[in-house]
Amino acid sequence: MDPSEVEFLAEKELVKIIPNFSLDKIFLIGGDLGPFNPGLSVDVPLWLALNLKQRQKCRILPPDWMDVEKLEEMRALERKEDAFTPVPSLYYMEITKLLLNHASDNIPKADEIRTLVKDIWDTRIAKLRLSADSFINQQEAHAQLDNLTLMEINTTREFLLDSLNFMFKLRSNLQPGSSKGQLTDY
Amino acid sequence: MSDALSDDGSDINQDDSQDVMTPAELIAKLEEAWLNEKFSPELLENKSEVVECVMEQLTHMESNLQRVKKGDAKASFHRMEIDRIRFVLSSYLRSRLQKIEKFFPHVLEREKSRVEGQPSLLSPEEFAFAKEYYTNTETYLKAVALKRMPLNLQTVDLLKAVPEPCLDSFVFLRVKEKQENILVEPETDDQREYIVDLEEGSQHLMRYRTVAPLVSNGAVQLI
Repeated sequence: MDPSEVEFLAEKELVKIIPNFSLDKIFLIGGDLGPFNPGLSVDVPLWLALNLKQRQKCRILPPDWMDVEKLEEMRALERKEDAFTPVPSLYYMEITKLLLNHASDNIPKADEIRTLVKDIWDTRIAKLRLSADSFINQQEAHAQLDNLTLMEINTTREFLLDSLNFMFKLRSNLQPGSSKGQLTDY
Repeated sequence: MSDALSDDGSDINQDDSQDVMTPAELIAKLEEAWLNEKFSPELLENKSEVVECVMEQLTHMESNLQRVKKGDAKASFHRMEIDRIRFVLSSYLRSRLQKIEKFFPHVLEREKSRVEGQPSLLSPEEFAFAKEYYTNTETYLKAVALKRMPLNLQTVDLLKAVPEPCLDSFVFLRVKEKQENILVEPETDDQREYIVDLEEGSQHLMRYRTVAPLVSNGAVQLI
């Protein structure tokens, strides 16, 4: 899957905005939005928030978790635990990136947040690589991956799955009499 | 602002009274089908009902938008949403066509051996596409190579020549409905098979073959 498609999915997440225009309720296929009143916060999907922001029609309120103190706690916990800790949003990386790229003037301490989220991401990706390594070493057939986000899975998906398939084919050809997974594919 | 846009098209599925879905649920269904199709190694059952309903919603909305003045703020929101839905829809259909092109002899073989009353993998349009693709490939192979071969080598069995989908591929999945006693087959001879329970909301990495029935009945979502 292309990272831009994961970002596309992240754009469905709701964020709070403060519009500077007024508009009645609108009935989108995916649900109702609004009404919009100047100065009153309202929930909209990220794709709409970013569009309005680019047209200077709103101010975006950062999600609750996008806060230096909370992220510092998360980073500490993430570094302490061996397993993946729960994330505040399944799309934390994408949302951070989109908001900081397009609405950084609405995010207090944007630079610190960027660094913190990057640290959390790096720690998690390092864990992911470690667990992928032991998964392959132990020749496991099943792994539970709670709290892992789609973007994180996506960084390793193709490489990991293709390697597993290849190893499976090579191995099953080593076992005499086994007909499964013959090297017919590719 | 005209009333044209206030009609959210909630008349969906009127002709299908057993299973009433809101447009939002319909879009969610389409997205599920899109991700499942993207990540499963084999072609899944067609969701032409969902596709048709979504198409209906889109044309309905587009015809409403035609009646709206230019520069209307609401209309631009609607257009953006339509573009997003259209993207998912075409990406979904495209990934199905790619699989049909990749596995066409097997797809057609399954269609042939299908018992009356069993749902078809392919929509009528996809079936026509697969058949045409088969004929064209065959004609092409004949024209460029086969007819210049010695007589005894002039046929090719496409069913054997084209690789089958590899059901032993690993997939990532999220559990939507709790499943108990899923048998995990061992990787090597010195390992033993064992049983896992899939808790709701948990995520796993395992072979597609083990969970294929759960994907098709919607108990798990590929991610």
